Amino acid sequence: MGSRVSWIVFKKELMDLFRDRKTLISSILVPIIIFPLLFFVMGNSMESMSKKVEENLKIAIKDNSQGSQLVNYIKEQKNINIVDSTNLDEDLKSGKILVAIEIPENFDEDIKNEKTVNLKMTYDNSSQSSQMAVDNLNLLLESYSKVIVEQRLIARNISGEFLNPIKVEMITTENEEEGYGKLMLSLMLPLLLIIYSIVGPMGAAVDLGAGEKERGTLEPLLTTQAGRLSLLWGKFFAITVMGLLSTLSSLTGLYLSTKQDNGLFHGGTGSLSVKTIVLIGVITLLLTMLFGALELAISIFARSFKEAQTYISPLMIIAFVPTYATYMMDAKNIESFYFHIPLANVSCIIKELISGIYNYAHLGITFGWIIVYILGSILFARYMFSREEVIFRT
Amino acid sequence: MIEVIGLSKEFKSTKIKGAKTIRALDNISFKVQKGEIVGLLGENGAGKTTTLRMIATMLKPTGGTAVVNGYDIVKDQKKVRGEIGILFGGEVGLYDRLTARENIKYFSELNGMSYKETIDSIDYLVDMLDMKDYIDRRVGKFSRGMKQKVAIARSIVHNPSVMLFDEPTAGLDVTAARIVQDFIRKCKEDNKAIVFSSHSMSEVERICDRVIIIHKGRIIEEGTIEELKTKYNNENVEEIFMQLVGDNYGK
Repeated sequence: MGSRVSWIVFKKELMDLFRDRKTLISSILVPIIIFPLLFFVMGNSMESMSKKVEENLKIAIKDNSQGSQLVNYIKEQKNINIVDSTNLDEDLKSGKILVAIEIPENFDEDIKNEKTVNLKMTYDNSSQSSQMAVDNLNLLLESYSKVIVEQRLIARNISGEFLNPIKVEMITTENEEEGYGKLMLSLMLPLLLIIYSIVGPMGAAVDLGAGEKERGTLEPLLTTQAGRLSLLWGKFFAITVMGLLSTLSSLTGLYLSTKQDNGLFHGGTGSLSVKTIVLIGVITLLLTMLFGALELAISIFARSFKEAQTYISPLMIIAFVPTYATYMMDAKNIESFYFHIPLANVSCIIKELISGIYNYAHLGITFGWIIVYILGSILFARYMFSREEVIFRT
Repeated sequence: MIEVIGLSKEFKSTKIKGAKTIRALDNISFKVQKGEIVGLLGENGAGKTTTLRMIATMLKPTGGTAVVNGYDIVKDQKKVRGEIGILFGGEVGLYDRLTARENIKYFSELNGMSYKETIDSIDYLVDMLDMKDYIDRRVGKFSRGMKQKVAIARSIVHNPSVMLFDEPTAGLDVTAARIVQDFIRKCKEDNKAIVFSSHSMSEVERICDRVIIIHKGRIIEEGTIEELKTKYNNENVEEIFMQLVGDNYGK
């Protein structure tokens, strides 16, 4: 009877939730489009900025040596736009010019005499465009010095090879794009999965607990033959399913965003093994159950939707602390005690799994703890459901 | 039938300083026979809702018990709930995104009815309450009267032998209140034992066979309307009620 009741409740709650446009939009549609949109905009704006700088390097030249060859060399470059400036500082700050170069007196002569010449470059280090311009200009100056060095070597009858006694060839353990993808994944995935395990079940939990109270449906529900625990289980599983759907939508969104041509990832995806995906999937499921039960317990305590939302949102902030604390951690060197810290352990284990590390001790500890948390939060929800003061708290 | 035996309820006090518990209900006893409508009359906070919630096993008594058709409300909670239908006043408490039929079906399934029993019962109720036109529409946009009918159907879909009404006409307009009152009379015809709580003496006078007046958690008077009128030598029942519970009014 108990499991039959839970199944009836489960079916009804899911049908009810799926008919709610608000829930569908916030827990399925938004997570799918938010990442592609975000990364598309970010990727595009970054690319267009660097293109803008590359195509139009606005620089000012203060030539103290009057008509040096370097100035001519710079002027020959197509993408360089030389701007006259009387007040360098001001023009840099206003963005009228991106970089200013000061060429010392007797520049050509000093070069000819093989002296080291000091060039001064002024730029706005608070502007990304200005920094990009500096990088571009540095490349230009480097190639100019190379030309000079080559001329000097030829004058001494020495081959260009002379300057490169050692040549290094870099070989990476991962295919280069994959390595980048894996790094990005190990940074972002733990954070996202934890956030979505909290946010995903939230709407459903608020609706199925405090919502029943606010609509006045809880009391009639409790007068049926259904036991409170069976009601709780039905609601708990419905919330878990909604939470998982929400997480899946967000991951789908993330996956789509890696496929964008102009996106931030530029196709740098790490391919994960089936084993990794399954393990991460199970962790996400358990995490969603954990927060689903916790949120349901809080929600049934609250008098109204609003109160429930107010009580549940601090969960997010509390969860952020251990998650962010481990955000930049390198998967290869995580100390064991991290696996005893709630959520930090989840974040760390996901990082390890993405990097292909299967440390069974770490896995065991983390899964052990998650099970303990889930049992704790279900018992908490059960306790809340059994208390008259909580159920009739209006 | 219902037999309430020395029922008491204490709540933990959170608001009043000093007092650890509040005695909401103090050792009350009464009986309700089949086909009888008993009015539970009292001011707000007298203990009417607490009494009904305990009979419906939503609250656990701190003393005494009640027996519903032979089932004890403390020991056989689930069986008791199977015997009871309850209709609340105020907010009807329906699921707006479900159709009327789905709302009723949900409750019949939770009461352990089979698929066929559910279908038959709903068909009967649709006919009885004249809900054909909107039974398969979502209740969100229903009028108050339509919602009231759905709530009534839901409360009785499992054919309970005992009906509890907790101020069912509170906040209703005349039409919706009429629907409820007709339904209560129908329950009597169907030989159900009925408890009806209200703070309106005149409503109780119209519907009930017998009245129990509760004040501050205790039964202070009990009897048929006629008995009360004779005893207090007053034709106006409202005045009798005021005389009994309103001893502090205006002082």
